[in-house]
Amino acid sequence: MRGDESPAGSPADRPQDVLVCRDVHVRYGEVAALTDVSLRVGHGEVVALLGASGSGKSTLLNVVAGLVQPSSGEIWIGGRQAAGPAHSTAPEQRAVGMVFQNFALWPHLSVLDTVAYPLRRAGTPARAARATAAGLLDQLGIAHLAERRPAEISGGEQQRVGLARALARRARLYLLDEPTAHLDTHLRTAFQESVLARQRDTGAAVLYATHDAAEALALADRVALVDSGHLLQLAPPAVVYDEPVSLAAGALTGPCSVLTAAHVEPVGAGELSVDLGDGPVTVRGGHARPADARTGLPAAPGVLMVRPNWVELGGPFDGRVVSVAFRGPHTDYRLDHPAGSLLAALPGPARFAVGDRLRWGLSRAWLLGRDDSAAGAQPSAVIAPG
Amino acid sequence: MRGSARVGDRAALGVAALAIGALVVVPLVRLGQVLTEQHGSSLSRVLHGPGLADAAVHTALLVGTVPILAVTLGSAMALLLRHTDLPLRGMLLVLAVLPLVVPQFVLGYSWSQAYGRGGFTDSLLGLHWTGLEGPVGVIVVLVIDTAPLSFLLTTAGLATRAQPELEHAARLSGAGGWAVLRTVSLPLLRPVFAAELALSFVVTLESFAVPQVLGTPAGFSTLTTRIYADLALASDPDSFVDAVTLAAALVVVAAVVLVPADLVLAPKLRAARTAGAGGVRTALRGRGRGVAGALAISGYTVLAVGLPTVALVAASVTRAVGLPPTPSNWTSANFRTALNAPTIDAIGNSIWLAGCAAFALTALGALVAALERRRAGRALGTAATLTFAIPGSALAVGLLIAYGRWLGGTLALILVAYLAKFLALAHRAASGAVDRLPDAEWQAARTSGARPAVAATTVWLPALGPALLAGWLLVFLGALHEVTMSSLLYSVDNQTLAVAVLNSQELGEVGATAALSVVLTALMLGAGLPVWLGLRAMSRRRTGRARAQRALPLSTPETAGAR
Repeated sequence: MRGDESPAGSPADRPQDVLVCRDVHVRYGEVAALTDVSLRVGHGEVVALLGASGSGKSTLLNVVAGLVQPSSGEIWIGGRQAAGPAHSTAPEQRAVGMVFQNFALWPHLSVLDTVAYPLRRAGTPARAARATAAGLLDQLGIAHLAERRPAEISGGEQQRVGLARALARRARLYLLDEPTAHLDTHLRTAFQESVLARQRDTGAAVLYATHDAAEALALADRVALVDSGHLLQLAPPAVVYDEPVSLAAGALTGPCSVLTAAHVEPVGAGELSVDLGDGPVTVRGGHARPADARTGLPAAPGVLMVRPNWVELGGPFDGRVVSVAFRGPHTDYRLDHPAGSLLAALPGPARFAVGDRLRWGLSRAWLLGRDDSAAGAQPSAVIAPG
Repeated sequence: MRGSARVGDRAALGVAALAIGALVVVPLVRLGQVLTEQHGSSLSRVLHGPGLADAAVHTALLVGTVPILAVTLGSAMALLLRHTDLPLRGMLLVLAVLPLVVPQFVLGYSWSQAYGRGGFTDSLLGLHWTGLEGPVGVIVVLVIDTAPLSFLLTTAGLATRAQPELEHAARLSGAGGWAVLRTVSLPLLRPVFAAELALSFVVTLESFAVPQVLGTPAGFSTLTTRIYADLALASDPDSFVDAVTLAAALVVVAAVVLVPADLVLAPKLRAARTAGAGGVRTALRGRGRGVAGALAISGYTVLAVGLPTVALVAASVTRAVGLPPTPSNWTSANFRTALNAPTIDAIGNSIWLAGCAAFALTALGALVAALERRRAGRALGTAATLTFAIPGSALAVGLLIAYGRWLGGTLALILVAYLAKFLALAHRAASGAVDRLPDAEWQAARTSGARPAVAATTVWLPALGPALLAGWLLVFLGALHEVTMSSLLYSVDNQTLAVAVLNSQELGEVGATAALSVVLTALMLGAGLPVWLGLRAMSRRRTGRARAQRALPLSTPETAGAR
């Protein structure tokens, strides 16, 4: 499935796009690493690639960087074709900077020389390159590390050096490949903030690969959901979270439960009539676009996706508490209901115990496409992102 | 329980220390003693005697040129072969290390048969190389013989490098192919290059067969060929003093160059090695360059090893020197003459000695490698490594002084020499593997209820198996064609195949020498190939998954892991 924009039209139609990928396929022998991926990244836009390990997001970054050649399809960077059927530009000639998961700092170069490296390759004299590099280090708050070697600084500092090196490239597009995967939680936030701050200053576009749903939702202007080499959905964070195109897409952005309703029907704008066996109730919500437009909306019975925070205390439905887990800001309850097993996140400490019965309602529900009816056959599924 | 384990540890440590002491320390001490016991007059006669300065200068010339050329050649091939798009890459890898299985003596002799006066190209095309016998020929053949070591070390250095993305990072910083090589790849290999230089230095310093075959006929003597002439060909007391002096000089030169190098290099090499790091293969475009590289490597191998081997085989089946190697002149007479009863005995001796040395040293090497993990055993490991730097000629002279009274002229003394010389190889192979064993595997076995002995056999041994087998093979092959020490320690009743080949060459029997060289090389291949294939199968089973991942060009572990 494609992203949310039309793949038609040549890149020249939208000069504000820094990156255009069109129908990109990558195959390693028999293995398809990327299948039919099309996306655009606009000037100054932050797009997160969210997917599990091995989903193909790193491959996509490598294709954009020029480290992997697409089997077919086109890559346009800054309005110029970087890869296509007939030709491919070398990585060093593409206007992109990259930050690596493993930092990829050169052990034989000092921090200052590392950051000056891209400037030197661009032909800047050594003295000027070092001066510029020192300025970049200063902006990132690591000027005091200038003379150290990578082995002498911490992981968080190393990744800032990696970011400074990428910034020294003065590119219009930055590729960040799980830059926080090897950082502790507190360093992660600090690094994300420095990425965003530098991105606002430079107005550059960012393609940010991560397997952390919270990171993707918090950072990005738009989130691209990648699974098994396919681009499932490309939309703003709130949309991919609230309105996933499929159960797989929904599971990538956070925990969700699946309920099989006796009858579901869209009523009016943004409302669903839901019957979980106790008669129809009207709930705020909507439905995923059907995979095949001709089949129309999925017929009853329908498969509903419910986020834990969409479950309210008090309401038309009756449930039995199966498990309780206190999470700090809220408490997770697993509820049993004939329509399925439900994960509910209720604010505050635990107020119910295993075996208690409680009344619950839905502030929102999302009707999934027909593709997911198979998943609905096991109504006890509570799906959390890997 | 704990007490008995500690006693066992101490005993093992003692056994290993005693072995190294008896094999290496005692001979060196005796060498020094004999030298200091000499009267000043005989020593000064030796030092001012004819030809000594020449030999020293010639050796200096070799160690000044061969290492740098060999490291350049071997590393260039390794860097070239890293490109995945090279056609027939696997075959080229084998070609590049091929000179390793050809004994030094055979390589030198086959070059003289191929390119020398009256050799293969001379009889076919009327072309021969007059400089082959002399310094240039010695240097060229030594470079060809040593380059595969550099090739292997550079290849390993590239494969085990800490980070696979360092080159990618450089390209994404705007560096082109050459700039990446100049600013990232080569600087990162610096410690590896230094180690290669040190290793090539040792190999060149102690080289004997090539200078003997290609240098001696032209009057180009080195310290090692002079020791041989002193001990094997002359019998006056001054010759013995001369040999002892030269042997001591070899040890001093090796120590002066290598001890500081080891002190500086070892920590750097250790730092460069990071567990669990995958290799990097940058798929650079430019198919044309790949084909050119493949052609260059194949052409080099054909000229360096292929054609000389053909010439050697041709000489071994040709009726008489000077006849063109055409089928009408073929005969098996050379083999029949060469394989007389004493030679058959020598073949048996060689196999028996090489087998004994290989088994004993595999055990001793593994023991030292295991002990090295404790603080108390660390010095032992360093000592075992340093033994490699003692030139074979010097070791043989030392052993002759120390144990000659009891063991002189017996196979036992040759075996002791092999044990002393090849300990470093067996130890290196084992300790490389032990280093890579994570402590956690051992701890997991212990917390699963395994006693130390059980944990060692169930967790360590399977993991070490391939490394121990590789060490066994290195020692076996090394001992099988060893000639430097054997030629100083043999007696008429107790000789080895390599010595028989050397003697045959000195008698000028071209056909018989070629035939014996073919037999020796065939033995090396016959022993080496099955074990090597077994090793490959073992390592493939062990790392099958990792290899499959690496087969995907440029796939990160992350992208490949899921498939």
